[in-house]
Amino acid sequence: MLSIRRISNSRWWHKKKNWLFFAIFLFLVFVRISKGAFYKDFYYFISKPFWPGQFQKEIVLESIDQEYLIKLNLLTKDNIRLRQILSLQESSNDEHISAAVISRKTGGWWRQIILNKGSKDGVEIGNIVIGPGGLLGRVKNTSLFTSSVTLITSPESKLGVWVDRIQINGLLVGLGDDYPSLIIYSKDADIKVGDFVSSSPASTLLPPNIPIGIVQSIDETLKSKKTAKISLIAKPHVIDWVQILKVNI
Amino acid sequence: MGTNFESKYLMNKFFTKKFSIISFIFIPIIFLWHPNWLGFLGVQPYWPLFWLLPWAMINGSINGLVFGLFLGLILDSLTLNESFTQIPGLIFCGFFFGRIKTHSDILVGHFRYGLICSFGSFLCGTLYLAQILFRNSSDGNFLMFIPSFKNILAEVFLTGLFAPFICSQLIRMFKFSRRKV
Repeated sequence: MLSIRRISNSRWWHKKKNWLFFAIFLFLVFVRISKGAFYKDFYYFISKPFWPGQFQKEIVLESIDQEYLIKLNLLTKDNIRLRQILSLQESSNDEHISAAVISRKTGGWWRQIILNKGSKDGVEIGNIVIGPGGLLGRVKNTSLFTSSVTLITSPESKLGVWVDRIQINGLLVGLGDDYPSLIIYSKDADIKVGDFVSSSPASTLLPPNIPIGIVQSIDETLKSKKTAKISLIAKPHVIDWVQILKVNI
Repeated sequence: MGTNFESKYLMNKFFTKKFSIISFIFIPIIFLWHPNWLGFLGVQPYWPLFWLLPWAMINGSINGLVFGLFLGLILDSLTLNESFTQIPGLIFCGFFFGRIKTHSDILVGHFRYGLICSFGSFLCGTLYLAQILFRNSSDGNFLMFIPSFKNILAEVFLTGLFAPFICSQLIRMFKFSRRKV
């Protein structure tokens, strides 16, 4: 009688090949359960040298800048058109005069700058002076070659301003230091640190929507008004070149 | 050659003789120049006092008062604050400085200049602040107090610091030009 008996090393678990297949199967199950995370991470490391570099970033930022500029132009045009329809005041944006600061008194009592453009160049009393960042002041006096500008930090300066977030008008008063004070004649006004302040659409001295500053701190509420310190966006003590806007209000 | 030498001599004589008046012309220019690197907390020394003290000490109270007025008129025309004036402070300082005599001890004299100019600067600053407060009395002028005191104190400190150097030199030069006359 021939008894057929398998020898021990012929069992399937004795074969390395089978274990290998099993390992691969387990690995594939793991890949399936982790939804390819391992592959993605692996790809992260091997593709790292080929990622879009700084150059690409510059291109993207430039494109974003261009996009913003175009949007700004479109919005400005829209704004002018709507203001014309509503018969609101507007500034004539085409009349800018560039000028250099030749004397600067930005500390102490006298807060003024003198510019190298005067009545000869068409500068008139009451013109608005803006620098990088926003409003600096108003032309108070002109000579043939120079014009003197009262800064908004001067104790003589009082301007109507607009707090955009809470849609309220206020008065910006220079105190003789670098932070003019915003007075809002309503003790319930919900003014907060970081609020943006621009020129008021109701002002008779300034064209509307010129950036001025940001609320830096809020003082104690008085009987009928709230006061806040404003940090100016345009820094008069460092700006060397300014733009004079001819205003037709 | 002779003519050239003579004209040079005459020019030197003129500048020596008129030094005080020529230096007077430079006060508004320094006032406008406003060198930031000399400032403290953004405030400058009160330049006109550096000239007014030597002038009034040498020429007397009435002269000091008159030139205080002149300086006030010029500086007011350079600043844009039409509602406020520097004239009262400068007139008072001119008159007050004229009452002071030069001290025989040079070292004490130097410190005296610093002290006197500091006092003058404090006086001018206070008078100016009083005008601002009076003008803004309706708006709740308490807002002005802290920055105004900061301005006054910084100005007093700087004026007192520079006065010993500048005033003693100017007094020496003014005396020299008077002796030549």
